[in-house]
Amino acid sequence: MKTKVRLEEISFARSGDKGDVCSVGLIAKTSKSYDTMIHEITPEKIKSHFGDMVKGGVELYPMPNVECLHVVLRKALGGGATKTLRYDQTGKAMGQALLRMEVDVENDVLTEARQTMEKIFEKYGKAWG
Amino acid sequence: MKGIRIGSGSSYWGDMLEPAVELVEKGEIDYIGFDHLAELTLSILQRVRAKDSTKGYIPDIIPWMKEILPPAWDKGCKVITNAGGANPEQAGEEVSKIAKNLGMKGMKVGVVTGDDVLPKLKELRNKGMEFPNMDTGEENLDLIEDRIVAANAYTGSDSIIEALKEGVHVVVAGRISDNALYVAPVMHEFGWDFTEPYFDLIASAITTGHIIECAESCTGGMSNIWQAVPEPWKIGFPIAEFYENGETVITKVLNTGGLVSEWTIKEHLVYEVLDPRNYIMPDGIADFSSVKIEEIGKNRVKVSQAKGKGRPKDLKVCIGYKDGFIGEAQLFFPWPDALEKAKRAAEIIRKRFEITNLQAEEVRYDFLGVNTILGETVSVEDLDYNEVGLRVAAKAQSFEEANKVRREITHLWTISSVGAHMGVPSHPRPVISLWPTLIPRDEVTTGFTIKEV
Repeated sequence: MKTKVRLEEISFARSGDKGDVCSVGLIAKTSKSYDTMIHEITPEKIKSHFGDMVKGGVELYPMPNVECLHVVLRKALGGGATKTLRYDQTGKAMGQALLRMEVDVENDVLTEARQTMEKIFEKYGKAWG
Repeated sequence: MKGIRIGSGSSYWGDMLEPAVELVEKGEIDYIGFDHLAELTLSILQRVRAKDSTKGYIPDIIPWMKEILPPAWDKGCKVITNAGGANPEQAGEEVSKIAKNLGMKGMKVGVVTGDDVLPKLKELRNKGMEFPNMDTGEENLDLIEDRIVAANAYTGSDSIIEALKEGVHVVVAGRISDNALYVAPVMHEFGWDFTEPYFDLIASAITTGHIIECAESCTGGMSNIWQAVPEPWKIGFPIAEFYENGETVITKVLNTGGLVSEWTIKEHLVYEVLDPRNYIMPDGIADFSSVKIEEIGKNRVKVSQAKGKGRPKDLKVCIGYKDGFIGEAQLFFPWPDALEKAKRAAEIIRKRFEITNLQAEEVRYDFLGVNTILGETVSVEDLDYNEVGLRVAAKAQSFEEANKVRREITHLWTISSVGAHMGVPSHPRPVISLWPTLIPRDEVTTGFTIKEV
């Protein structure tokens, strides 16, 4: 059984800029989350999720060694940090925006991924919230 | 096994000083690197230098070195900084003066130069070489030639290594790559050169440099797991324990804030990277797709197994050119109907721009608190918002046109709806646009001089 959820349920993200290119590193919450991401996420889906925000191509680079899926969004930052009218000049929020994309996830994968933050708090302690 | 400890003291111009001082005092580090330069910074600094030839370096270098040099001199920690910006010679002079005033007799300050390729670019263009824009594909540099303010190459470790061989205690450079701040000391200490047997090892140093070069960003800053990150106000900057076999352990000073975990290191491994199999730096091309990340203890993460491909034949050059002005302003609307009030105001200012004949290349409207940073990935729903801001931004070629944003948003205060409120709108800011391109490595010659106190 699969459930449609936002990518945020199974992945973390960090994004930034290289000129007009926005780079988004998706960091899988669990090994099974990574496998799901590799199958569920395509350049076409990402392009359609961002609409006009991403004017160029989308490239994906799987990194099984660290269970990350690297995403490159071209012509995504209004010409680049120094000239863009975007409030988020360097694309720091683009990763979080990508985590809003919907994906179909097997329920057992989802259940395990949802325990990630609790496990992190158990290991490192909780400093806030 | 021989290891060296390298600290990362700064990730941007304006970063915190205290964690850097703490690193030198308590981190038992052999080297500390300081990155103060973003892509835009050289253009700002070149303009400063054009007005005053004794300026053009990062002014922070003076207060920073006053605090860093005493513990560094005392502990034998060497300092490598790119705060020289557009004027490394003068910055080196200032550092020498500080050292002299602090009584550090015998301190050697190395100044690395050669990254300013503006004259070279003109010479090569005259010979028919082209410098297409890597972002846009535009090939004709003539379009911007009369507006260029800076052209600097991201240079590698070569001259830093040579200066370190001469026994310098401080290296002041300009636009060396951030990464070279960390690759240079590793290569120097282990006696590596740029030949094939060292490709993987240099790739390891590049990978480690990439992870620590943004300082706090790998020790819990900007993290997805921010709720597990203790005491960010006294965050510890990273230390890389680098070993001769290419393995590194990333850690931080005991009892500092922040967190070094497999998560925070992974987050930074994938930060601001294009193709992770080909992370191109002046000192080599690293393949991150083989890198192994293991948490081996509290605030200790081991990074290993990077693969490398040797140095690229070209260096990246960032050309900065004057490109008009941006006017930007915002005002806020209160409940009830906050979003509708903001939408109405956007319509009003659009009409005002028509009446005042705004000549802009682009105008942008955002609803603050609704869709400003998530853009089209969120739907603008008709919710019962407590408050919504309207942000208006326009890019124009003249100050006067861009300034219309400031003038017209002020009118919204009086002609839009009840309860609107704004702060003081700022004046338009000048825009420096960037033209990233490549230059053959052989055309860029770096060098160094030494000033002894």
